[in-house]
This record gives sequence, C-alpha cells and structure tokens, in this order.
Amino acid sequence: MQKLARLAISEEGFVFDPASGDSFQVSQTGLEILAGLKNGKDDGEISRWLLEKYEVSMEDALRDVADFIACLKNAGLL
Amino acid sequence: MPEKCRLTVKRTMNGFYIGISGINAVDNPGPGIGVARSLREDTDLGAKIVGLAYDALEPGVYMDWIVGKSFILPYPSSDGDALVERLLYIKRNHGLDVVIPNLDAELPLYIKHAPMLADNGIRTFLPDMRQFRLRGKDRLCDIASRINISLPLTKVVNSVDELLRAIEELGLPVMVKGIFYKASKSYTAAEAVAHFHELVAEWGYPVILQQVVAGDEMNVVGLGDGEGNSLGMVGIKKLSITALGKIWTGVTVKNARMLAATENFIHEFKWRGPFEMECIVNGDEVFLIEINPRFPAWSYFATGVGINLPSRLVRRAFEMPVPPPPRYEAGKLFVRYTYELVTDMTNFKKAVTRGETP
Repeated sequence: MQKLARLAISEEGFVFDPASGDSFQVSQTGLEILAGLKNGKDDGEISRWLLEKYEVSMEDALRDVADFIACLKNAGLL
Repeated sequence: MPEKCRLTVKRTMNGFYIGISGINAVDNPGPGIGVARSLREDTDLGAKIVGLAYDALEPGVYMDWIVGKSFILPYPSSDGDALVERLLYIKRNHGLDVVIPNLDAELPLYIKHAPMLADNGIRTFLPDMRQFRLRGKDRLCDIASRINISLPLTKVVNSVDELLRAIEELGLPVMVKGIFYKASKSYTAAEAVAHFHELVAEWGYPVILQQVVAGDEMNVVGLGDGEGNSLGMVGIKKLSITALGKIWTGVTVKNARMLAATENFIHEFKWRGPFEMECIVNGDEVFLIEINPRFPAWSYFATGVGINLPSRLVRRAFEMPVPPPPRYEAGKLFVRYTYELVTDMTNFKKAVTRGETP
C-alpha cells in the first residue's frame, strides 16, 4: 500500500512510480481499481463496485480484480 | 537629532571567467557543455565561459552561444606542469577566475596543483587527493559499508591467475573493469582474460572483477560542500542509452534509499565538489557501481529541474551564499538530441595555429 500511495496517476491512465522511474499504462477500469485500492478498498468491495457498474458476474469481477492485483504485484506496484 | 545614515551598497559584478574542460560534445560527450550551459543560465554570475579543449575539433570550440573564447591545452601529463603553465597564461592574457575540470584524467593534476592555482587567483572546488583515491574502483568496498549501500561481489586482481580464481568465486558472466575507465561484460573466462589484457595495456593494474547484478540503472549527480553537507542532488533513471552506454533519455526519480546513501556519502567523507554516483536498483536493494569525482555528461538535467549545481559550485568557491537546494520533481524527462552548426574556418584556423580562438 505504501508503494501505491507514492504513484503518480494521470486521468488518462498513465502511472509513474517516482522511486523506480517505471511507467505504465492502465485501462479506464484499471484506473478505477487503482483508485479504489489507493482509497483502502479491499478486492471484495472493488468487485461489488464493478458488479454495479458493468454487466459482469460476481465471479468474473472477483477474478478480474484478482488478476489485476496480481499484475500490479508483478510490476512492483503493490 | 542626527540624520539617519543611509548606507546603500551597490555591488557591481563584472562576471567570472570560468574555465570549463570536457567541451567535447560528441557521441561520448564530455560534461563541459552541460556545465557551461548551466552557468550561463545563472545570469547573476555573469559567467564568461572559457573553453579548455584538448583538440581544435571539440564541438564546444564552435558553440559561441555557450562558450566564449577557447584555448587548446596540453594533454594532462604526469606532473601537470605544462597544464598549469597554460592555465596561468590564460589567466594573464584573458582572465580565469575559476576552473571546473570535467575529465577524469585531469582531476589528479588539478587536485595536486589546486593550492598553487589558488595562489595565482584561479579557484577550484575539488575533493582532496585522499578523498579522490578513496572512491577509486578498488576501494568501493570501504565506501559501500560506510554509507549503507550494497556492493556487487568485487575482486581486485593483478594477474591472470588471480583473475581465474576470482571468476571461480564470482561466476559468469562477470564485469571486468579498468582502474580508471572502461568496463566489459565477459561471458567466458577466455573473454575475461582478453579484456584483462586490454585494460592492463591501456590503464595499468589492478583490474576489478565484479559480479553482474540485475536491476535498473540509476544515477545521482550531487555536490558536497567539503564539510559534510549537500549543496544539492538529483536522482535519475536511464531510460535509453547509446551503443557506448551513454544516456540518451532519462527520467528524474526519488529513490529514497539511493538518495539517503548519497547523503551518507557526502556526510561521511566530507566530499568537496561535484560527483556522480552510479547505482543498480533492484527492488529495495541499491547496489553501488561507481563514484565519478566530477559532473556527469548529463548534469544539465539537474539544472533543467531547478537545481543548478555548477552555479552553486561557483558561488561556493567564491564564498557567496548558497541557499538550500530546492526540491525537484520526480517524473521529469531528459531527451538528448543531435544538432549541427555550420561556420567558417576562423576558429579552427586560430585554434590550430595559435592554440586559441579569437
């Protein structure tokens, strides 16, 4: 979470890590998930929010959020 | 009632004549042009840049919007007497208040002759010889342990036998480094032996063998005041490099561990003058690769983000007040580019025949 807090995130989905100098591009949904994580929401809360916003099952939402979080970890952002 | 005494002091500054070497802005650029450009941006200094070139074809000799008059210097030889004589000539015939040497080979000579130059009105702002030797590639182990930074496994070797034994310990691939310049990655023992011989022939003994560590190449340019305080520093990450390994694009970063280690270096060793700390960053681990006792070729990057280190150096050298360095922003981009200029032969002719430009 400490790493997440330091990220500079633009509205267009450009993510810059000032400690590593790495930059990333995330989709609009990814951007919204990142915002949720930064605000301290857990994966269940984020999945429920995806469920409300998009036509997706809870199972798919949970899986997508888990996948995205795994991507963030793999990129050293979490 | 006595009238209040109104004292107004108006200081007029005619500007400093500042000698800058390393004005070879070529594919392996010297740091001089970036340093000179930074000095010119501090208009209060009124810097008159004196180009100190070793070849009439160094591009800085022709970049008259940055460098004023240029002089050809004798190559820095063992005792440096000819170099000093030339600097004194420039002082007498043109003006030279301070010199910022930017090339590794010059530094021991400038450090050795700094008191004599100062006696003749030419200031420098350099580490002393003990500090200079301390950051040698063969001594980095001592520095790393004192500033709380990792060092890739390193062996100093003086023979092929020692080299082969070191390879057994470090494994392959391995970095083979000259004592002053050059480093090559060797994938086989035979390749390492060949690099060893090349480096010994060019730079002498010892040769340094270093474990290859994975990670991002990050550097810091900094300036120490000689009393343990930082006069400013900027951390960057190289985003792309040339075939010669020189930065072409980069981004400012704020890696807390790397910057803390740099602060420690300045504090612990009371470093005086500019330096570049080269690191490899892998997650939370920061490895020290090298410390160069001079400005790097990309030092204008720091000026561009608001920390004009050459200007701060000159101000400190003249005991002028130097305010605390401003904060810089992470995420600023550095983009180098190529440029051409067309001029007549005047500067070239004069530099070749008279050793100085008009």
